Formats: sequence, structure tokens, C-alpha cells
Amino acid sequence: MMEGPRIRNREEMSRFLTENEGVDVNRLVPLPHPYEDWHDEPIPSLSDSQLERIEPGPDGIAAAQIPVPENDEERERLVASFLEGLRKLLTKENNWTFLQPLILSLDNCVKCQTCADACPIYVGSGEMEVYRPTFRAEVLRKIVDRYIKPGGSIFPKLRGNDIDLDWDVVVRLAELSYRCTLCRRCAQNCPVGVDNALITREIRKLFSQEMGIAMPELHEKGTVKQLAVGSSTGLNPAGLIDIMEFAEEDIQEKAGLNIPIPMDVEGADYLIMHNAGEFLSWPENLQAFAIILEAAGITWTLSSELLGYDSVNYGLFYDDVQYSRVVLKHYEVAKNLGVKRMLVGECGHAHKALMPIADRLIPKELRVRTESCLVLLEDLVVNEKLLLDPSRNDFPVTLHDPCNITRSMGIVQPERNILKKIAPRFREMEPHGVHNYCCGGGSGFAICSSLNFSQWRTRVAGRLKFRQILEAFADEIGPDTKKYLCAPCSNCKGQMRDVINYYDAWDRCGILYGGLVELIVNAMVDVREGFIEWEMH
Amino acid sequence: MRAFKYATAPVHLRWDLYPVAHEPGRDHGGSYLEQKEWWTKKREKDHLAEILAMAAEILFLEGVWKNNRRLWWASFPFHWGLYLLVGTTFGLGAVMAGLGSPFVTAALTAGGVIGGALTCLGALALLVMRSADRKLRIYTTPLDRANLLVLILFGGLTVVVAGSVPGMDAVQTGLVSLLKFGDVTVPLVWGLQMAVGALFLFYLPVTRMVHFFAKYFTYHRVRWDDQPIEENPKMASRVQAALDFGVDWSADHVGRGKTWLEVATTVPGSKEGEQ
Repeated sequence: MMEGPRIRNREEMSRFLTENEGVDVNRLVPLPHPYEDWHDEPIPSLSDSQLERIEPGPDGIAAAQIPVPENDEERERLVASFLEGLRKLLTKENNWTFLQPLILSLDNCVKCQTCADACPIYVGSGEMEVYRPTFRAEVLRKIVDRYIKPGGSIFPKLRGNDIDLDWDVVVRLAELSYRCTLCRRCAQNCPVGVDNALITREIRKLFSQEMGIAMPELHEKGTVKQLAVGSSTGLNPAGLIDIMEFAEEDIQEKAGLNIPIPMDVEGADYLIMHNAGEFLSWPENLQAFAIILEAAGITWTLSSELLGYDSVNYGLFYDDVQYSRVVLKHYEVAKNLGVKRMLVGECGHAHKALMPIADRLIPKELRVRTESCLVLLEDLVVNEKLLLDPSRNDFPVTLHDPCNITRSMGIVQPERNILKKIAPRFREMEPHGVHNYCCGGGSGFAICSSLNFSQWRTRVAGRLKFRQILEAFADEIGPDTKKYLCAPCSNCKGQMRDVINYYDAWDRCGILYGGLVELIVNAMVDVREGFIEWEMH
Repeated sequence: MRAFKYATAPVHLRWDLYPVAHEPGRDHGGSYLEQKEWWTKKREKDHLAEILAMAAEILFLEGVWKNNRRLWWASFPFHWGLYLLVGTTFGLGAVMAGLGSPFVTAALTAGGVIGGALTCLGALALLVMRSADRKLRIYTTPLDRANLLVLILFGGLTVVVAGSVPGMDAVQTGLVSLLKFGDVTVPLVWGLQMAVGALFLFYLPVTRMVHFFAKYFTYHRVRWDDQPIEENPKMASRVQAALDFGVDWSADHVGRGKTWLEVATTVPGSKEGEQ
């Protein structure tokens, strides 16, 4: 790794908020065999015409796509709007949802930097200072102390509140809030319990709820579209019916089974909440669910109601209002259908959005029992309610733990118990479980590919995860041995697809990615052999 | 003030972080959500494990030991120095309440000398690290350095006061006399030690050193707070009250002048929102 970042003292911190310094790909954390000769392509800068329209972050990346203000008056108005939003963020009326954790984290960081080594983006980037978990939190803290708290302008330099707030600082803070995947590994390592990921999320929320600034893929193309059309993919109920008809045909063709996919069945045991991205990108996932549930004799259904067929809730990542609207609709659909419970499919953030975070928000009259699919699948596999032949999965398998399911919910063991039963050559990554590294696509990043963001996402955010994957398969890394990277989460799979493609890992190492249910079905003796298709998709 | 602020903050949405110390599956970071039909199962909460986890944090700084070993060598003596000084102060309170004895005097002398020395050396080590290590230096303010200097001075003076002859005997006599509103004459170094100590206590509430009680909230009220709402009717009523708060966010998609409940159940621009 090349010698350290450029900030040498506290005074230079503010320079990073007024000047741009792009990612140096030569400083990225090195990769093991067979990537000794790997040369990363530089992340492209925004073009001049793009820079005329869009404000980049301090690293030259543009995620939130913030328009360049037309004049100084507009800049001043936006700075004032930011401060107004910051005041609201610290009031119980506007932010009861996360006020207590926020003020605890703002007040009590002792700046020991214990969190830094836990952050896959900071470490993966070669320790770029602006990616340090405390960096953006400290910028916000300084602004709060100087501009919001009484007496903030008294001896600001002595107290360390030495940032002069202007539009440059505001826009860079907004962008930096989209350089953290909210994986909370930093919080897990903090001895005091400070949560820099939460601070990051709260910064995003301030920008969204006060200034209308958010990553377009999360807001306009995400929650806004979902609330209007039914799914952030744009899929409407008619399209859903078509996809399910295709899925039934596919199951017949691939698995040799005739399985109808139930729709809007009132009183079913389970309403399955899939991430609709699965329907379009990985239809084999919903097909595998259908095969398993049919074989287990479980009554289940999908919903064709608006929002009922897409468990996505990107509000979780940036906006409490949008989160609440989406999750209330999800529960309303389940309640109206009269199902006994909701089953969350292989989607990490949907797990968290529908279970722990929703717990205190859903009114009693709308409550429906909700369970993780991993728990039901564990019951079916471990208690031998499915006929399985593990020798069909005689290839190396490793597991990527989705942060939202493990670190934020404590669902760790069921997926392992399943893999131990169906995958004889399963091996863990290190670290794993609640201490895993994020895939780099967390907090919605996996669906964001505008401008130069996808290049940043694969090279920087996904770097440590890719290194982990290579290390897990190190004993059989050659391309002749086909290997399976199991990622039971739609967003993680999206990121894995892009990482594997960028690093050419299918051709170099024979690494394929996919979900957990596909592996289960691949081992089912009632299903035609070869459910997993060994080709990169 | 700060403790009051944290304690009276409104209920928040859950923000669990695993491992959670009271969960039976804590060794692998598991939660009750790993159980099929978790809502039908009796919730097991291991309070002893929670206490032990906190004790390991408070007494041994376990998190720093595991994740930041270099810092631990400075932070651990520093914290233990402060613990001993706090203990010695309580001991002096006991003496003032008439519980003095030769054993107590010896214990207070040891507490003062060792506590002062550890505080002084720990703070000195932290100051050196915060000045020499670039990563720490960037985020260290002049006030942080001043605070450490105060603690170096206070720790050193405490060693002198507690370790000198007649040391703790005289401190105890002086304090008892003070309690009776009698005349107390103290050597300059004692006066200086008390003045520095008073200065530290004066500004302590506005420093980040109060994380010692904030930690209760960050762990018990946030990271480990995994209780389902249906087991806590009081919380349900607090949430209900929060849903009636007026929302003032300005972005178009929020819709101003409504309560949280109204905002969450309507979408501006939609048919429902227009109603």
C-alpha cells in the first residue's frame, strides 16, 4: 500500500471539504492470487458538461446528482435550508424516530478511531481520509456545535468547531453520506456504542426530508415509483401475472415439475414478500421458492396488490417518511389478504424493514406475524421435510452474510445449518456472521450505477468483500473448479454480479453467485438435476 | 443535564446491533428471530450475561482491547486511575461521615497515589498518542489537549498530596474540620490540587468524557433494545403519542402541517394525498 493519505493535521481537514481529490486506484487494498497482476482502471472523472450540471463529492464521484446552483443567492438559500433541516433533525417532533440514537452518537464520540479499521470502504480504499467513518460524522458534529448549539461561535477554533459552512461543505457532506453502506461494522467495534452509520443515515434523511436531495435511484426511481406503480422496478400487477406465467413454464422446463404459482390466496399460511428485482434479474430464485414450498406442502401466496409484490423499501436507507409509507402499505396488503404470516424472501433490507424497524411503527390493527425465510427453510432442510441429495452440490460453496440479516437482526445460524446439510464443501469466509464485511452494495448502492458511481462501487466499496471471497476459495481458486458464492439477498447479489464481472472472476476463478434456495433445489431429488446453471448471468 | 436529555428523549424505532449480550445465541450473535414462529416462544433474556458484558467493558475496556490494542495500553491505566480516584473520593466521604480508621487511611493513601499515578501516566500516554499519531491528531482539538494536560496535572498533584507525610491523615482531618465549618489551612500543593480538581469537575459535563454514563444508553436503549413492542404496552403508548407530533419538514414529498400519522398514511399528489 502506498504511503498514507494527505491530511496531516486538523486544519487540513477543511481542505477536503472544499477541494476534490479523486480515488487513487493504486492505493486500493491489494488482492491475493490470482490477482497479483491485476491493474485497476482509474475511475473516470465527470466530464466538463456533467460538471456544469452536477456537483461531485470530494472524491470526484457523484451519487446524489445534486444540481449546480445557478447563482450565489441560490447557494445561500440552500445553505440556510440545510441549517434549517439540521435544526429539525435535532427536534423530537420532526425526528422522534431516531433522535435518541442520533444525539447519543453526536455527543459521545471520543475520536479514538477504533471504528476505522472495521470499515470496508475506508480500508479497501487504502485509507482515504474522507471515507473514515468518523470523518463525515465529525463534520456534522462541528457544524452542529458551531451553528446550532448556543454559544457555538465562541472560540470555535479552540473547541475544534473550525468549519466555515458554505455550499461547498454542504454539497460534499451530502455526497459523503453516500460513501457509506450503513453496514454498521464501525458501530459494532465502537467501545462507546457510537454509530457513525446512523449519523450517515440521518444526514441522508436531512437532505431528503428538508431539501429534497437524495440518490435518484432510491427516491424518484425508488420509493416514489414504488408508491405510484407498485414496485421500484416499474413492474405493475399485469406485468407480475405475465412473469409468473413464464415462471411456471420455466419450472416445468428446468425442473420437470408442474407447479402453479398461487396469487392472492386469502387466508394462506404465508404471504411471500420477494424483492421484485428477483423477478426480473434472478427468476430462478422465486421459482426455487415455489418448488420448495410446494414440496413441503405449505399453503402460500403472492400478492398482486400495489406494493404487495415488492418487499423493497429503500426508505430504510434515507427517509423515514417514505419508509413509513411503504412499510404501512406492505402490512396493509398482508392484513387485507388475511394471511397467517408474512415470509420475507431473500432480501436483507426487506428483512430489516419489515421486522425490527417496523416493530414499533405498525399499529396494532395492522399487525401481521412476520418471519424470515431462512428460519422456515432451516426447518424444512434440517428436519428432513424435503428429500435432499447433498452430493448434487459437490462443489465449493461459501456464504456471504447480508449485514441487515446478521448484524442488524441476529439471524446467523439457520443459513449455516442449511448449508452444512446440503453443501458438503461449504467453507466460511473470514470474518463471517455478525462480523462479516458488507458486499459494498449495501444501503441501496447495488442499484445505483449512474455516472461514475458503479466504477467506485466495484473498485472501492466491494474491494474487501472480493478479497474475502478469493481467500475463502484459495485452495481451489482455478477456473476449472466451479464455485458457488451464496448470497441470500437481492441487493448483495446485484453487487456480486457487478464485482464478479469487473474482476472477471468467472473466467479467472470460476466463481458464480446465487441465492440459497437455488442451492436447496439443486439438491432436491424430486427435481431434475442441474437446477443451477453454471453460466455467468 | 445530558443524562436527563438522553433519559427523556422520545421512544425511537428499533436499531438493534448484534451480538446482543442478553440473547441466548449471543456467542454467534444470534437473536430470538432465529426461531421458527418466534412469537410463540418464551423470550429468554440472560440478565447475568448482560451484566458480565458491561463489567468486561467497564473494568477491562474489552472493546478497546479487542479492536484497538495500542490505544488500550494508554486508555486502560487512564480509566483505572480515574476509577481509583473516584473510589478514593467516596472513601473520603465515608471518613467525613465518621467511618475513618487506620485501614481506611491506608487504603485511601494507596488509592490516591496509585490512582493519581495511573491517571497522570495514562493521560500523558494519550496526549503523546494524540500528538504523534496522525490519525488521532487530525481529530484532536486544542480543548482535548488542554483536558489531558489538566488530568496530567491533577493526577501528579494527587500523587504528591496522597503520598506526602502526613498525607491522607491530614487530608481527612482537614475535611472533617471543613465539615464542621472550622478553619482549615492547607499547603499550597493541596490547594492547587483541589483547584485543578474543581476545574475539571466544572467543565466535565461538557466534555466527551461523560461517555461513561452515555454508554448505558447506547447499549441498553439502542444496541441491545430488542424487545418486541407487544411485550411493552407503555412503549406502545409512547409511540402513539409520537405519531401525533406535528411534522415540519420542507421537502415537497413530505407535506407540511400534518401529524406523523397523517404524513405516513398519505402521499402528496396521490388520490389519497389530495383528500
